[in-house]
Amino acid sequence: MAAQAINTASTAAFDRAADWDALAVRARAVRRTKAVVLYAFLIAVSLPIILPYFWLVTIAFSARAGVAETAVLWRSMAVIMPVVVAFWLTVALAQSRRQSWIGIAAVAAIGVFAFALLVGPDLHLGNFIFLWEPDFASVVRSRIGEVKGAVQFPNVWHAFANSILIAGAQTAIVVTVASLAAYYLSRFQFPGRSSMLRSLLVLHAFPVLTLIVPMFLMLYWIGLLDTLFGVILVLVAFELPFAIFIMKGFFDAVPWDIEMSALTDGASRRQAFVSVVLPQVRNGILAIAVFTFIRGWEEYIFVFTFLIRNSNWTMSLYMYWVRDDVMGVDYGVVSAVGVFYLVPSLILYMAAQRYLMQMSIGGVKG
Amino acid sequence: MAKIEFRNVVKRFGAVEVIPDLNLVIEDGEFVALLGPSGCGKSTSLFMLAGIYVPSGGELLFDGHVVNEVETRDRNVGVVFQSYALYPHMSVRDNILFPLRFKKTPRDEALARVTAAADLVRVAELLDRRPSELSGGQQQRVALARALVKEPQLLLLDEPLSNLDASLRLSMRTEIKSLHAQLGVTTVLVTHDQIEATTMADRIICMRAGRIEQVGTPDDLYLRPSSLFVAGFIGSPPINLVAGEAEDGMVTVNGARFPVEGASGSLTVGLRPEHLRIGDTGFAGRIAQIEPMGREILYVVETGMGAVRVLEQGSSAGHSTGEQVKIGFLSENSLVFETERQKLIAGAHVREPV
Repeated sequence: MAAQAINTASTAAFDRAADWDALAVRARAVRRTKAVVLYAFLIAVSLPIILPYFWLVTIAFSARAGVAETAVLWRSMAVIMPVVVAFWLTVALAQSRRQSWIGIAAVAAIGVFAFALLVGPDLHLGNFIFLWEPDFASVVRSRIGEVKGAVQFPNVWHAFANSILIAGAQTAIVVTVASLAAYYLSRFQFPGRSSMLRSLLVLHAFPVLTLIVPMFLMLYWIGLLDTLFGVILVLVAFELPFAIFIMKGFFDAVPWDIEMSALTDGASRRQAFVSVVLPQVRNGILAIAVFTFIRGWEEYIFVFTFLIRNSNWTMSLYMYWVRDDVMGVDYGVVSAVGVFYLVPSLILYMAAQRYLMQMSIGGVKG
Repeated sequence: MAKIEFRNVVKRFGAVEVIPDLNLVIEDGEFVALLGPSGCGKSTSLFMLAGIYVPSGGELLFDGHVVNEVETRDRNVGVVFQSYALYPHMSVRDNILFPLRFKKTPRDEALARVTAAADLVRVAELLDRRPSELSGGQQQRVALARALVKEPQLLLLDEPLSNLDASLRLSMRTEIKSLHAQLGVTTVLVTHDQIEATTMADRIICMRAGRIEQVGTPDDLYLRPSSLFVAGFIGSPPINLVAGEAEDGMVTVNGARFPVEGASGSLTVGLRPEHLRIGDTGFAGRIAQIEPMGREILYVVETGMGAVRVLEQGSSAGHSTGEQVKIGFLSENSLVFETERQKLIAGAHVREPV
């Protein structure tokens, strides 16, 4: 009886062991299917996002006679898509680091060669004419025989400098004020502190367009209408609440101990803030600096409303007027201006990505 | 070096009175411990000494001068925080150098003092590292070096050992004590760990709810705790406290009767586990649990007065669980407290049960 029982038990164990292989096979199959479906979905979703950017770049560098062609786009896609897939496969299939480096180098070489062959002959810098020809609008129009009515464009570098000035000054003011205000909110107890914290968020909830008429009138009365300084002040006012809120989270994370320690080490409150607390929130400062700069760089509504003279144009206004004046005549130039406008913020984002990733907003503590 | 004096010091946070009335003198060069459970006001007192909190009333004196209003940075006080509070963005050298930056010490002299302080606590080879690259014990030493480099007149240690593991704690204890002997700086240690306090301090100030419960040497607190609170707080394993009623020279505890001298009324009798022994005479009980502690063995004995802890020397248990035993004690080691006021009745002893 006992022997029989043991027998059955071992058979059962054997059956289960046999099942495990089947289970493993099935699990592997499910995992692979899931991965394939997921990648397919992600590629399908990201294509419509990537494609326009890519098209913008190809038109800017390849369009002749002002027409927005797709031929170059498809040809360059035909090179780049297989190259991306090949990269992916090489990394996935490589047995060692050496192999994967060789594979990547080979794919890159083939890719560059194919690109030079298929797309290379079509590339040129003619659409960036605005960089060296301030009166490019007349030139472009004359190509199709229309000579009159071109907008008087300022030098693009002038608009570029205006944008840098607005974004830079706004960033400097926001970072300084937000750090000080957030430190005070984080460390000091004063009447109205919690309602102030709450109102910070409410302030940010205002759609800026609703305030544009009163802002316009106020700037007019103060005499700052059509000045860069006026726009900078308005932008600072709109950016500050959010920046203060984020900086408060960073200051909250700095332990009291090191601040007290600095005081007992002989520092004054201000010295402790500068030499001990500020270095701890460096990442927060970088994050709000980058965000504020990019906000200022892309600003359109306020500069469009408050700036009138073309010597005050920023890049966004320049872009707007190029589109208004040359669109329909030369898509290539419009795209080229777009690429020129895009590059600085792209570089900034890529350089600061590491710090932006660390930005998190703490909960409101009353 | 400084003599510290608290005179009727009061500290309130809003409506909450954390310290109602503190009077205390710490002699020049002394090593004292502020001991008590969390929330007893010991850290608040420490922060008042450091100048981070300003007393709400009373006077705080350094060497006879009132310092209530003196800024933290002018007090020349070295503090080691529980978290060590090293500056994460600075190297160990810059951390130790930091206090000297504000004293306008010439660069060469400052660096020499940093090296000297680092040598003192044996972190000289770590000077170029960042605090995050140090172990807990090393961070602790760096924090000590930073507190000592400015040659403070007062050294404050806020739970300095609580973040260290057990063996490190033991060696740091010895080290801090020898540092104090070497430098002679007035030192205040804040801790909730009675062993830290008794092993390191010359004098212990036992606090409870913002008031001083007892001030004395470690021996005083152990042998003659003035109140039930101190008796319960000092000693490990904790003291056995049994309630009883005294009448006609006899105390009755849950049926058991002992002779008692010098006391009457409602009593609480304190018997330390190490003063009890399992023997032929005494009150009866049954061993419920045995906890070997290496050098000693702790017996938990169920008696008529509830569970009693008995600590016996030796590493092997001479008794087994469930055994019926008798527990005796030496009458001179018994502590008798008035139950109502929770105070020690000086000179009162219970005798061994008959």
